[in-house]
Amino acid sequence: MSETGCRHYQSYVKEHSYDTFRVIDAYFAACVNKDAREKKAIHCNCFECGSYGIQMYACLHCIYFGCRGAHITSHLRAKKHNVALELSHGTLYCYACRDYIYDARSRDYALINRKLEAKDLQKSLGWQPWIPSAKETNLLLANARRRLVRPNQTIGLRGLLNLGSTCFMNCIVQALVHTPLLSDYFMSDRHDCGSKSSHKCLVCEVSRLFQEFYAGSRSPLSLHRLLHLIWNHAKHLAGYEQQDAHEFFIATLDLLHRHCVKAKSEHESKCNSGTGGSSSTAGGGNSTSSSSGSGGGGTATHCYGQCNCIIDQIFTGMLQSDVVCQACNGVSTTFDPFWDISLDLGETTSHGGVTPKTLIDCLERYTRAEHLGSAEKIKCSACKSYQESTKQFSLRTLPSVVSFHLKRFEHSALIDRKISSFIQFPVELDMTPFMSEKKNAYGDFRFSLYAVVNHLGTIDTGHYTAYVRHQKDTWVKCDDHIITMASLKQVLDSEGYLLFYHKNVLEYE
Amino acid sequence: MTVSDAVDQYTIMSGDRSKIKDLLCNRLTECGWRDEVRLLCRNILLDKTGNNSVTVEQLIAEVTPKARTLVPDAVKKELLMKIRTILAENEAENNSN
Repeated sequence: MSETGCRHYQSYVKEHSYDTFRVIDAYFAACVNKDAREKKAIHCNCFECGSYGIQMYACLHCIYFGCRGAHITSHLRAKKHNVALELSHGTLYCYACRDYIYDARSRDYALINRKLEAKDLQKSLGWQPWIPSAKETNLLLANARRRLVRPNQTIGLRGLLNLGSTCFMNCIVQALVHTPLLSDYFMSDRHDCGSKSSHKCLVCEVSRLFQEFYAGSRSPLSLHRLLHLIWNHAKHLAGYEQQDAHEFFIATLDLLHRHCVKAKSEHESKCNSGTGGSSSTAGGGNSTSSSSGSGGGGTATHCYGQCNCIIDQIFTGMLQSDVVCQACNGVSTTFDPFWDISLDLGETTSHGGVTPKTLIDCLERYTRAEHLGSAEKIKCSACKSYQESTKQFSLRTLPSVVSFHLKRFEHSALIDRKISSFIQFPVELDMTPFMSEKKNAYGDFRFSLYAVVNHLGTIDTGHYTAYVRHQKDTWVKCDDHIITMASLKQVLDSEGYLLFYHKNVLEYE
Repeated sequence: MTVSDAVDQYTIMSGDRSKIKDLLCNRLTECGWRDEVRLLCRNILLDKTGNNSVTVEQLIAEVTPKARTLVPDAVKKELLMKIRTILAENEAENNSN
């Protein structure tokens, strides 16, 4: 495939420049704004038969639209015009070659138009094939040996040694290592640490861990360096006692996020603002749910704008809370970012003492409107008085990885206890009912289960294990240094403490 | 102007056309249709590699009918539903105005 088109296209560009292509593409193929869409809707029908056609072509030599096949080709033949643009995908066609042609510069212009269109319609950018950069091409050439990953291979699985009640850390590391987007990020070596003391950087350590997991060795790993780093940065987790896996998970995300931000700022100050810039386009891991769906909520976009480190790209969602004043029905809406959703399992107090039995029950309870009684009056921003109100949570945007924390450990003034009741959770989860904007016809909120962390034992002493999805339909149980095969039934029958779901369809920016 | 032309015009104008197209592309990729069609093209090219003269038109002519039958019914149904909802919403808006 030549990247410079054909000789006919080259001579066409020499004579007419790229201008016609850019305008036709912007108006009739990509439709970059409302004006373009109107123009297309009115003018872009076949000059031969008048229909809007399944697939239309525009002649790039004169003003002519025609359906694919006889209509456009007869025009090109009669007028001796060579170059036409196919409008549903924006591919160039050369009549003289009787073939589609590919030109790097035209493609660059087309990509700009696609981005404008996606922005104007607030939609995700279509899938683009990966084009390796010069650096990546050289790497591929220098490392000619490829590794074929077969369905029943164990590559990517490593046991983790227990360093003395560190199973809480082991199970979270297993879940993180098996997060597809995170492994895409680290396996493609995206973390560019600006820090001179990279041995102090947690992100570098995690990056190294991914290398270890996929190095091919099958002996268990020791996470002492990771543990040491976390002890240094999160003092409340230091010590040899058993810790809460959920607390560890959140602390780890927080540290990774802070180190990503630090590495980035150090990197930028080193590069003297400029060159580095937008290096994170294309490729598998580049998706945030922030660009899509959020129909211009000022607060929501503001918070996202702060950080787009890999942790925020994968794990941060936005919770919407609507407080409705019972006196004036004024609604005040606030947005809060979240990394996980903590769900209550105890009896409900208001709705006749129901205990949730499934994850869906928990989510329904979480997003139900809650009446704030006379004891919790809130000042209404509309009528400026303290009133009773109802409060309701909904999910404004969802992260690519949604993790649920089932609150099995109950700490109250009277009693500390573990709730061991069985909560049924699905493999495939559709989050649409819990979104703030259900009417968004194009949102896709389907998720798949990929990791489950379990706690065995009582509130005082216990042990953590994790089930992780190793490959499609292949589950393994990670119990410190022991890795065993597991069936989906075993996973779904387990108690479940932390549940990790991965988005099925990712949006591109 | 026929009904289908009116629908075409309306969906192009509102931007729904482009979104529906994206949705369709995503669904076809998800269900493996894209890979199947790619394989189909590959096999045709391999079969005829001897005379080395398969043009893109010939390839399209040969693949199109097969590719059409490969589109899962669920995808067609979902797209149809989506288009219906969009048109119904548009009608409701027009009536209320």
